[in-house]
Amino acid sequence: MRARAGHWTCVLPLTVFALMAGTVLGRGQSPPSMRAGAAPAHAKVVDLIPTSLSGETNQDSEPFLAVQADNPQVMVASAFTPNPVSSAGNAPVYVSEDAGNTWVLNAITPVQRMTCDITHAMSTGENHPRGDLHAGTLACAASVTLDESESEDVSSSAVMNVQSTRTNVDQPFVRALAFSHIDHIYVGLNDLGQSSGRTATVDVSLDGGATYKSYSIESRKTMGQDGPSVRPAVAPDNTVYAVFFGWRKFNGSMATSDVVVVRDDAGAAGPQAFQALKDPSDKLPGRLVVKGVSIPWSNAPTLGQERIGSTLSIAVDPNNSSTVYVGWADRGRKGDIYTLHVRRSTDRGVTWSKSDLAHTTISNATNIALAVANNGVAGFLYQQLAGGRWVTHVVQSRDGFATIEDTILASVPADTPVEQFLPYLGDYDYLIAVGNEFRGVFCANNTPDRANFPQGVTYQRTADFNTKTLRDGSGNPVAISIDPFYFSVPVLP
Amino acid sequence: MNTSKFFLAGILWMSPLAAGALPQATDNQADLFKQSSIIFAGTVRQVAATSFAGVPKSAQTIVVRVDSVLKKPTAVSLKNGDDVTVEVKDPAAFQDGTQATFYADGWIFGSGVAVKELGHEIGPSGATSGATGTAEKTFGQLQQEISDQDLQRRVAAADYVVVGRVTDVHQWTIPKSVAARYRTSEHSANWHEAVLQIQSILKGPKIKRNKMIVRFPQSRDVAWVNAPKFEKEQQGIFILQKDQVSGEATASLGGYTVDAYTCLKPGDWLPMTDEARVRSLLKK
Repeated sequence: MRARAGHWTCVLPLTVFALMAGTVLGRGQSPPSMRAGAAPAHAKVVDLIPTSLSGETNQDSEPFLAVQADNPQVMVASAFTPNPVSSAGNAPVYVSEDAGNTWVLNAITPVQRMTCDITHAMSTGENHPRGDLHAGTLACAASVTLDESESEDVSSSAVMNVQSTRTNVDQPFVRALAFSHIDHIYVGLNDLGQSSGRTATVDVSLDGGATYKSYSIESRKTMGQDGPSVRPAVAPDNTVYAVFFGWRKFNGSMATSDVVVVRDDAGAAGPQAFQALKDPSDKLPGRLVVKGVSIPWSNAPTLGQERIGSTLSIAVDPNNSSTVYVGWADRGRKGDIYTLHVRRSTDRGVTWSKSDLAHTTISNATNIALAVANNGVAGFLYQQLAGGRWVTHVVQSRDGFATIEDTILASVPADTPVEQFLPYLGDYDYLIAVGNEFRGVFCANNTPDRANFPQGVTYQRTADFNTKTLRDGSGNPVAISIDPFYFSVPVLP
Repeated sequence: MNTSKFFLAGILWMSPLAAGALPQATDNQADLFKQSSIIFAGTVRQVAATSFAGVPKSAQTIVVRVDSVLKKPTAVSLKNGDDVTVEVKDPAAFQDGTQATFYADGWIFGSGVAVKELGHEIGPSGATSGATGTAEKTFGQLQQEISDQDLQRRVAAADYVVVGRVTDVHQWTIPKSVAARYRTSEHSANWHEAVLQIQSILKGPKIKRNKMIVRFPQSRDVAWVNAPKFEKEQQGIFILQKDQVSGEATASLGGYTVDAYTCLKPGDWLPMTDEARVRSLLKK
């Protein structure tokens, strides 16, 4: 295996080479640069837009993915995809029952037309072979409303059953795991209704969503609130971590923030949930991974056509819950717009690497998503603005990123299409380990150009790769737009 | 939304109605037309079946070969000869070879289209009906009628409908007394205020000094992308509600405290070319 520098001056030549190789080799093959040192041999990239919606031109940004644990052929993906036929109809999700080769759009979420945030997870506590899908959706009308809802069969026409509703929250982020045939659901969210200003919150259900209890996981004084992203991670041994941005100062364009990790060793079932980890500096719950980093906040196109301000991820080793990774972005280096960082703890979050892990300080990048496979291999998905293109990487490492294998999934023009709204690609994307695969979703310019997809790509929608043109069902040209893409990359052995 | 001139020809002839019953039937069809996102005439090929993977098969699902597409969203690929899965309300009404026009809503979109039936009319495709000429004329009226009904409902629910011109746009300064309520989120509205010089009031009581404040979200976040955004000198018809969204019902205008208004839905602002139409609807 060959280690590669993470900064873009080194990555760009590799990117160009990989793209050239990808162009020559075509679908389903890995270019030579990717093959060095047991590179993934059968990466798969699929545009989620189905054939029957070939005429659509929506900005289908901010993707998410859930995989049925017992039957990973079944998956649910989502994006800012509106109901394709009716403004009064339900917002849809994408459903695959063949491990991501084909997808259909099914309008089953409880939100009208289109969500303004959606994440979900599928656990198996209740043994529904095409469920249980647990979703957190935001509906944005006169106010922002969170629905925590469930589907027992994602292929049916039944609208998801809303189990809990409340207003004035932000960025629900759902993780779920079955314990003794009962789904435990953890929804990280920013509870803007918290009068104390300690807004980082995890909603916990230990009964499959029938009831939820909210836990504020911020124990320190904030500037009035925490940052939007609150991300939980669950290990099969009932260890639950969560990471959030503890905002200490904010001037409207820059947050001075701590990156804080909390832990619970009993699935958040006890009375003192998420208080297992205390920081030595003040003895308060919540370990400060880093203190006082500067995080730019811009709700306008800033990194290319994308906004920035709250990219954050956490992943725990499923077979060794002592090992946990955290990644975030801040204004790390002079001249950078947004810099990614990854740190690791091998002692249950008590101590953390003092600096970024090798190959994980990435300039001008966003949408970090981390995952750890059963064999301990760590995966690191991100999207980098480099050379006027959005380049989507999935990086794997067996040794905490000391050595890495970098697979480029897509490299697309960053200036087209013009954004319809923000976020342009998403405030997040997603990576999940499933057996010997890393699966995930990202969004990108959908020009049917094989040179843009070094690992190959499959389009369901009608696309002419010779003329690099999308077409509708009648053969008319269709404008390019942002589509969600599913991918699978084999985990390093 | 694509529609066919043959639509009403079909429904006119398919309804076995006496001439005296036609107006009532047309109203019903208009409602069905409005509710349906997809309308097509077709021939049943198989009952208790589906046309593509990913659609759950049941006794209520039938496969229909499309004979003519009468209405569909532009993004949806659907053409004559395609097979469509229809989840019908009453499977007993259909057998292989049954010809009908289906009024439907979208359900599942994959390699094909699956729809849920809202209604149907048994009979062959209306495209062959001799009533086409009449239908074309009536169809235009029907479209206009539906559009007018929407607008009429909108203006009926409004606190004010005014013709005006935007003389200033500025960011709303949140009063200190309520500032603690406002938190930062990517969905924050970034409220701005448009000062509206009123040229005429089409609905609502007289306004002092002939000026109003219209509060609107300047944010380009997905939550607000469809809300009208205003610029200085913009003129038109404003369909306004008292502000119950921003969190503060009043605004400051020339040193006075006034009610603030919002105009948040697409179509709550209309160009001047719609003035006569709005005036006409307000008289009804």
